[in-house]
Amino acid sequence: MTVLETIPQENLLEAIPEKLGITEPWVEKGGVHWLATGGLNVRTLAAAMNDCHARFITITAYQLPGEQGFRLEYHWDLNGKVLGFPFQLSGNSIESIFDLCEAVDWIEREIHEGFAVDFMGREYEPLLLRQGDTPGVNLREEAKK
Amino acid sequence: MSYKIPMGPYHPALEEPYKLDLICEGETVSDAKLHIGFNFRGIEHLAESRNYIQVIALMERVCGICSNIHTLTLCQAMEQLTGQAPPPRAQYIRVVVAELERLHSHVLWAGIAAKLMGFKTMFMTCFELREKVMDILQAISGNRVNYSMNRIGGVNRDIDDPLAVLAMVEQLEREMVRTVIPIFTTSTTARLRCAGIGVLSNRKAVSCGVVGPTARASGLPQDLRRAAPYAAYSEMEFDVPVQQDGDVRARLLVRALEIMESCKILRQALTKMPPGEISTGDAKIAFSAGTATSRVEAPRGEVMYSVSWKESSRNPSRVHVRTPTFVNMPAIRWMVIGARLADTPLIQASIDPCYSCTDR
Repeated sequence: MTVLETIPQENLLEAIPEKLGITEPWVEKGGVHWLATGGLNVRTLAAAMNDCHARFITITAYQLPGEQGFRLEYHWDLNGKVLGFPFQLSGNSIESIFDLCEAVDWIEREIHEGFAVDFMGREYEPLLLRQGDTPGVNLREEAKK
Repeated sequence: MSYKIPMGPYHPALEEPYKLDLICEGETVSDAKLHIGFNFRGIEHLAESRNYIQVIALMERVCGICSNIHTLTLCQAMEQLTGQAPPPRAQYIRVVVAELERLHSHVLWAGIAAKLMGFKTMFMTCFELREKVMDILQAISGNRVNYSMNRIGGVNRDIDDPLAVLAMVEQLEREMVRTVIPIFTTSTTARLRCAGIGVLSNRKAVSCGVVGPTARASGLPQDLRRAAPYAAYSEMEFDVPVQQDGDVRARLLVRALEIMESCKILRQALTKMPPGEISTGDAKIAFSAGTATSRVEAPRGEVMYSVSWKESSRNPSRVHVRTPTFVNMPAIRWMVIGARLADTPLIQASIDPCYSCTDR
């Protein structure tokens, strides 16, 4: 049993930053409890969410202007609250959490297919959204062409 | 020797196109692969070129069944960015339309499930009832599919005579109690055809992160109307039906019981509807820069919208839609493994999939 699993459900939210080694508090904004992730590894986060029995909701991908790369926002549900964890990608890759969280499979594939973000450490099945097309294409850039 | 049977993308058992490659050993399915994308319209990207009025009309077309839910979720997110709080009457109207849409969706699904069971009489009965739900929605909104009810800060149309709508709902409820509910909960045909097939265990349901009736039929009591109430749901009394078996019958029972709960909510919302305005009435709407997220319990489960806006822009910079079928569909693989080939149409239909929502 992990430390988070021993904490009562009503105190879990407060315990998560400490468990993740984050000193900044939760910020509630736009219907989400946000936690600044800093240098946090996404796999450490996924393992902690598993320990809390939080339910994975989705990842929202944003393409940032110019050469700034991408921002991925990971969302989990904890007792009816939406938790948000933003990750800034300087390039176009981040570690996959598929082996830790089965529910992430399709959204990782969709982001790979639509934004060309590479989720490292996993294999991709044939395209989810555009059968027979090339995988890992940034559709926004393609649309501009 | 194993062999592959493709089901779809165009197949009599599928209401919309998607593909299920079934790997079979004799008549038993040993594995399955799902392929989606046949309805991919690039709606999220398209939304970035629409202003805050046009984007509501666009997102209403993500799904042809739960169209209202999409605009409700979108408007709730945009209301956070604009500071527009809908008046209490608008919140009640939102509940009424959302529950009518749930009735419409569940009865439609019940009809399709009955057809796949080989229970054609029941299919006809369900579709007759569905017409009556759509008549009520038409009486309220003037429309039968895309109701155009939601706007930023409220709703577009009032329910002038809630008691007249209540009379229609009660008539509908009587017919449900007389036909759909007893047949789906007690009939031998439904029981024999659905019990013990397409099982999604509680553990696998947690692992896959499934939502809505699919989750509740596998023993997960999650429902956003209860866990994170929106609109006027905090003022409604209702139960969240949960079944433990995780099979097709459990999903059937959950939806049948939810029909009754929807009628219960509708009765409360229509009798307690407060007087007053139906929207903030602001013609000019200013967005603050940032991201807002909203979630709603759609007929198939949780819908989530993340909406981002840039300073002084008329268009959203990003709209991300997470639909319930997008998370429920991968679980079909685990439901069909070990099943008989002949049961797979009913099993895949038991999550009430919507491929238009999934592909966007």
